[in-house]
This record gives sequence, C-alpha cells and structure tokens, in this order.
Amino acid sequence: MKKLPDQIIRISIIFTALILFTIVIRVFIIPEDLKEKGIFRTSAIKQELAKEIHYAGSEICVDCHEEQYDAKHNGYHKELSCEVCHGPSYEHSEEPDDATPEAPRKRKFCPVCHTYNLSRPTGFPQINPFAHNPLEPCINCHEPHDPRPLETPKECAGCHRSIATTLAVSPHVKLECITCHNTPEDHKINPRIVRPGKPTESKFCGKCHADGSSNREAPKIDISVHGENGEKYLCWQCHYPHLPEVD
Amino acid sequence: MNIASAHEGLTKLLEQVSGFIYPNEIEVHWSILIVVYPYLTGLVAGAFILASLVKVFNVTALKPTYRLALLTALAFLLIAPLPLLLHLGHPLRSWQIFFTPNFSSAMAMFGFVYAWYLMVVLLLEIWFDYRADLVNWGQTAKFPLNWFYRILSLFSKDVSPQAIAFDNKAVKFITLLGIPSAFILHGYVGFLFGSIKANPWWSSVLIPIVFLFSAIVSGIALVMLLYMVITPSRGKPIDMKCLDKVASFLLYAAIVDFSLEILDITHRLYESEESIKIITEMVVNKLFISLVVLQLLIGMVVPLGILIATKLANFNQELRKLLYFLAAILIQIGIFSTRWNVVLGGQMFSKSFRGLISYRMEMFGQEGFLMALTLLVVPFFILALLIKLLPPWGSTETLE
Repeated sequence: MKKLPDQIIRISIIFTALILFTIVIRVFIIPEDLKEKGIFRTSAIKQELAKEIHYAGSEICVDCHEEQYDAKHNGYHKELSCEVCHGPSYEHSEEPDDATPEAPRKRKFCPVCHTYNLSRPTGFPQINPFAHNPLEPCINCHEPHDPRPLETPKECAGCHRSIATTLAVSPHVKLECITCHNTPEDHKINPRIVRPGKPTESKFCGKCHADGSSNREAPKIDISVHGENGEKYLCWQCHYPHLPEVD
Repeated sequence: MNIASAHEGLTKLLEQVSGFIYPNEIEVHWSILIVVYPYLTGLVAGAFILASLVKVFNVTALKPTYRLALLTALAFLLIAPLPLLLHLGHPLRSWQIFFTPNFSSAMAMFGFVYAWYLMVVLLLEIWFDYRADLVNWGQTAKFPLNWFYRILSLFSKDVSPQAIAFDNKAVKFITLLGIPSAFILHGYVGFLFGSIKANPWWSSVLIPIVFLFSAIVSGIALVMLLYMVITPSRGKPIDMKCLDKVASFLLYAAIVDFSLEILDITHRLYESEESIKIITEMVVNKLFISLVVLQLLIGMVVPLGILIATKLANFNQELRKLLYFLAAILIQIGIFSTRWNVVLGGQMFSKSFRGLISYRMEMFGQEGFLMALTLLVVPFFILALLIKLLPPWGSTETLE
C-alpha cells in the first residue's frame, strides 16, 4: 500500500483533535435542554416560575377596596387594571401594612393617555396639558376611579377634536354638527351607547346640492342620475362630508 | 422606565417616521453592523477568487498578489463574524450558538459555511502553500520565533521535491474546492436577504448573484489597493504587468456586476409590483445620495470609465497607477454603499407600503459608528501582523 503523505497525517491529527473537541463540548458541556429542538427550553419554565412575583392582579384588590373597585367597575376606567396606575402591588396584597403601592398624584401621569393625539380614537377624552388648568394636579378635579368631565362639554369638538380640525378648513365649516347629525341629548352622557345619526338618503344632501336648490354657493348636481350606480350609494359613502373635495 | 418617559421616547422616535408604519417597524433593527458584515465577507470571497486565478486558471502574471490575496482573505474572514456576534448583543455567549446549531435556520447555516471556509479552505490552503517556507523559517529564525514556525508547520520537516510537489497539488485541489466555497460564502449572505419573501426590497433571486459579483469586485479592488501600498513601502517596484492584469480582471468583474445591478433595477421597474411606489419614494427621498450618487455614479460608473480609459488609451505607468488607485478606492466606497442600501433600504419603508422610516446611526455603543469603524480597521492590523509573520514574498525573494 502507498504510504500517506506526511502532510496529510499531520493535518488529520489536527482535524481529528478539533472534531473530538467539538464532540466533547457538545456532549458533555452543553446542557441537555440547550440541545432541544422545541420553541423554548423546558428549564425556562422553572426559571420563570422562580422569578419574584411583582403583580397581584386586579381580582384581589376588591377584597379590601370594594368602594374604589365598584366606582372603577362602573366608570370609564373599567377596563384598566388597578396596577396600571398603582404599580406592581403583590407585596401590598401579602403584607398590606408593610408595603404601600404608589398612587400617582403628579400632573404628568394622566396625560400619558389623555394628551391630545390625532391617532387616538374619536371621542377619547383628550386635553392639551399645557393649556388645560396648568400646574393643577388632575386628581384635584377628577376622581380617577370614576373619571368624568366636571361639566358635559358644550361643543362637539370637546370630544371630536380631529373632526373639528378637519372641518375648520372645509367648505362645510359654516354648518353646525347637528345640521347633519341628529344627536340625542343622552349622547353626551353615554356617548358609546347613544349614538348620533347620519343622513340616510341622498335627498338630504340634495337640499343644498341638487339642481334648483336655493343655496347659491353649493356645487350642484342632478341627484337623480349622479353616480354610476344611481341610487345604490349614499352621498357620504363616496364624498367625505367633513372635508368634501372642491372642484 | 416608567410609562411617562417611555411615551417621551416614543414621541422622539416618531420624528423619524413619515406616513404610516406598523408599530414594530419604528426601530431599524439591522444596523450599521449588519452593513459591515456582508461587506467584510464580500472582501474575503473576492480576494480568494483573485488568488484562485493564479492556481486554477494559471494566470501567472498575478503571482505577486497570490499570497497577499490569501492573507487578506484570512485577515478579513477572522473579523467577519464579529459584527454579527456584537449585533446579537451577548458576544460572550456566542460559543453556545456555535455548539447548538439549528439545522432548519438559514441564519444558523453561516456557522457551517464559515467553519468550512476558514478551516477546510483558507487555513489549509495557506498551510500547504507556506509549509516549505515554514520549515525553512523554523530552522533559520531566532528563538522564540523559530518555535512559532515549527508549531505552525506542525513539526513537519520534509522539503523533498516530492513533498513540495504534493503541497502544490494540494493547493491546487483546495483552490478548486475553494472557488465554489467562496461562492457559497458570499452567495449565502445574498441568499439570506434574497429569501426574505415578505420584504420586496430583498426578496429577489438575483440578490445572491449581485452580492457575489459585487464581492468579487470589492475583493479584487482591495487586494489591488494593498499591493499598490505595500510594495512601494517595501522599497520594491510595482510589477506593472501584474497590476494591469489585476485591473483587467477588476474591469471584467465590474462590468458583470454593473450589468447585474442594472438588470435588477430594470426588472423591478418593469415588474412594477405593488411595492414599486414606496420603493421609488424611498430611493428618491432616503437613498438618493447612497444609491444613485455613491453606489451607481461614483462607485460604479466613474471607476468603470476610468478602467476602460486605461485600457483604451496609452497612458504612462505613473498615470495608470494613479488611475487604478483612484478607481479601487471609488469601488470600495461604491460596494460599501451597496451593502448599506441593501441592508438599511430593506428596513426604511413600511411593509404597509405607506410610510418611510429613517435610520439614525449611534456614535458610540455596541452598534455605533465607532464600533463599525473599528471592525473595518482591525483586519488591516491583523493583515499587517500576518504579513510580518508570514511574508507573502516568501523565502524565494530573500534568496534573490
């Protein structure tokens, strides 16, 4: 048999040593559960369980703070958990006298959710923290467990700020909201349950926009034939009434 | 961090956004380090391809750059995984990744590609090529260097003509194996981006090929630069025949690379998928300087013009050297911009196709500008050390 070249033998020794080294590390040093193919390591469950508990959950608070719980449960903050504002309170639930949860009283806390921001849903109570009673802590006027505006907003823009802003630059700026939206008085008390109405037929817009209307400024169309599909759509399904296009 | 300060931070971040984006797109996760990574591996693959021209295709004129190209590839390959490990956040835990590979993850495959390329291709080829020199230096060098060389040569002593003939045969075989390996190394990096099907900027079968050729271009240009800097600093004349040949290969590779890039752009424009609007907007607003000016114009069209001009016109040696030098530097800028545009471009538009995101580079910190700069500079120090320990001009020149 031909002898293997000297170089190959030397290189083979090195490679064998490296491969053995890898196998030893892999088999003996790497913990078993690091080699698992699952989404997480089984020992991760134990690690998670061993972590210190910080949050008590909202159910336990009602045992002692029934009054506040009831107020919150029926108010606008009903979907917030107690610890959203009061912070992690597990310790307090175990030893009520030793640990007191924080109660945010400073002004900068509430605006985290209630600063005016265009992307918040219409009707969500929003203020400009620089203009809205500067320096006054929010809790001086609003009870956080059952927050309400001190008085019902008189203007629709109180809640529908983004629509009001849009409307301000629109040809419809002179129209009052109630011209088009039939709004029951109860909408101000229960805004999510009692909803204002919207025009239900094209004839409504036709009062200004139909041929022969007495309104001289509004653009006119023949509403009996306007639109490719005749009567199928209402005007506001194609034209956004708060900012109708001007041509 | 409390809720209030989180909100402040978010408001600050929102300034970098225009239009509509999804919430998880606000941070550009793959930062400058991920730009550095394909750039470094590209240099490795390119430098190796240049070296392979000598051994496999017998382009003897390139011989003066052969060993330099190998050492350059090694110096850059050693640093290539560092940007990834730093980006992952716990570099000291990286050994766990190496020993627990996930065989179904394309990303984890880099470990195998890298190990194969480093151990089986590059180190082995360098060892076989230097073995006779190492034996020689092991006997002539002073203590303790002689022991260093003896260990490196794995204590082999055989310098008989048969042994050297075997070395040469081995080098040729490994280079043959090395060409597809170099293609795999950088093609893999391109594949990783090309296979992200949710991202229209990356998802393209052309990406691995474009990456590969841009890698060859950048690698050849780097070795050319190094050769032009190192040779005069040793007080030796530059071998113009060799330099002209390198420049020719650089030109050929650059032509293919440029054509592929134009093909990619044309293909995207003609296909006009739904993403084309936002991509156009991104190129015009966010990537204009880095893509149109740096990558295409300064990094490709100008050096191509220079290289073609040196081929057509009869310039004298000094002017040719100057032009080659300029072209090689511009190509480095261009290819780095290519990596920048691919990696960051893919994260600068929202997958909703309705918004754009800006990338603000950190200065300090683990993923900052200084770290990236360090990673780009360290290979040159490693190369200097390698050249000091393993002179590419070998024992033949000392004999002259």
